[in-house]
Amino acid sequence: MGKSLPVAEGLFALTDAGPRLLGSTCSGCKASYFPRTSSCRNPECDGGELEAVEFGPRGTLWSYAVQNYAPPPPAKYDEPYVPYALGVVDLPGGIRVVGRMTRADPAALRIGGEVELVLEALCRTADGDDLISWKFRPL
Amino acid sequence: MRQVAVLGVGMHPWGKFPNRSVTEMCRHAIDAALADAGVPWREIQAVAAASSRFSGGKGWGLNGNDVVEDLGPTGIPVYNLSAGCAAGGNAFNVGHALVAGGIYDVVLVVGGEKMPRGFIQTSGVDEETDLEYLRQKSVGMPGPAFWAALCRRRMAEYGTTERQLAMIAVKAHRVGAHNANARFRQEFTVEDVLGSALVSDPLRLYEICPVSDGAAALILCTAEVARRHSRRPVWVASSSVATARFDDGLPRALGSVVPAHGRTHHSEAAQAVRKAFDAAGVGPKDLDLVELQDNTVYYELAFPEDWGLCEPGEAERLVESGDTLPTGRLPINPSGGFLCFGEATTAMGVFQACELTWQLRGEAGARQVPGARVGLAQTLGLGGNGTALILKQ
Repeated sequence: MGKSLPVAEGLFALTDAGPRLLGSTCSGCKASYFPRTSSCRNPECDGGELEAVEFGPRGTLWSYAVQNYAPPPPAKYDEPYVPYALGVVDLPGGIRVVGRMTRADPAALRIGGEVELVLEALCRTADGDDLISWKFRPL
Repeated sequence: MRQVAVLGVGMHPWGKFPNRSVTEMCRHAIDAALADAGVPWREIQAVAAASSRFSGGKGWGLNGNDVVEDLGPTGIPVYNLSAGCAAGGNAFNVGHALVAGGIYDVVLVVGGEKMPRGFIQTSGVDEETDLEYLRQKSVGMPGPAFWAALCRRRMAEYGTTERQLAMIAVKAHRVGAHNANARFRQEFTVEDVLGSALVSDPLRLYEICPVSDGAAALILCTAEVARRHSRRPVWVASSSVATARFDDGLPRALGSVVPAHGRTHHSEAAQAVRKAFDAAGVGPKDLDLVELQDNTVYYELAFPEDWGLCEPGEAERLVESGDTLPTGRLPINPSGGFLCFGEATTAMGVFQACELTWQLRGEAGARQVPGARVGLAQTLGLGGNGTALILKQ
């Protein structure tokens, strides 16, 4: 039985309330960051503490695209390659993030539509483990 | 600031040249530029070179040093400039500053690149602290998908049609067919473009630029040197460099702040162009032609309105009415642009300056913009780098 492994550490978590992205918000200017950061990068901000926050689960699809060809490394996917859709999603907290969509069919996607954060496998590794990342499911 | 002239330009044709090194291609372009300028190599006082991402430069981006070693080491200073795909524009900017600032009188600007086959990996490092690497590993969103998402958003906002997107590629190849330095010189119909494979829905193969090998060079000099060599030099009205702003809302890396005010846009390019306008004392209405970075047909819609060359949502109509042809009201990419040349990433800023020079001299042949007097060129690159330059008669 394979394990479920995060594609990278510190980007997302399955919390008691469900899947969340792990980010930061500046206490001074309220600018949001994903992934987490230790200092505010807003040049208009006079300084604030960076607070760990969780983003999700619902957001709005700002735009989307389909990855019709197998992307170059280090992108992860199962062979043979099957195109996936990509979303650009605005989440409450003022953060705009990119992520794969759970559905590749552009007809299922609508700009301005509501989407939900999920954690799903990008691919299965040679060791039989599922490599997990965040994705967005259209609602 | 001293007045700066473009004294000579030269280019190696764009294409795939597996048996030729990037330094050999640069030499071809430099020899042509020196001959065009009427200046021998030993009179070049400094080199501003774009650092290649994929070729030569001893793996350190030392492409300017390769060039000096190849043409004959005269002991001159070399500046190797790295700015992603904007490196050629940055090299021009530094070359211009060296002459304008009174440091040197005759400077070579050069950019050459040989690209690997196929779709390129954006980040050059395999480190999870590199957000571009992390984006590709955890999401898998290469350049074309990034352009496609921006384009899809525009289609939702303005009702841009797939046919209008295809018309931009048709226009590019209609003019690029006349450019002997272009890699792709065949003409296409709208149906041809719409029949090409989807690369990243809604963008198709003929609507994004492929990668190519290429090299371009030019000689910058003072007004005094220019008048000694040329009766009609082309002048640098301005050259500028900028980087992206914090809150432009572009989906770079994994996350960005949603812009509270204003539109999502390439702020690095918009700022560079605005700075170039301000420094040159010219405005959008003064432009006779524009060479912009058309990695994708989408940019030919977004950039003109981003820079005040047309009203928001007007760009599609300019394309449909033929106004972006060399004979139109706002000629865009009469060279054929990245779509016809393919992107030799770090060489493109120098390539654009060469095309503007030929246009302003009236030497562009069948793709000539009639009576061209003022031209704008723009690049952008990874890291949020943007450049712009304005040349005038």
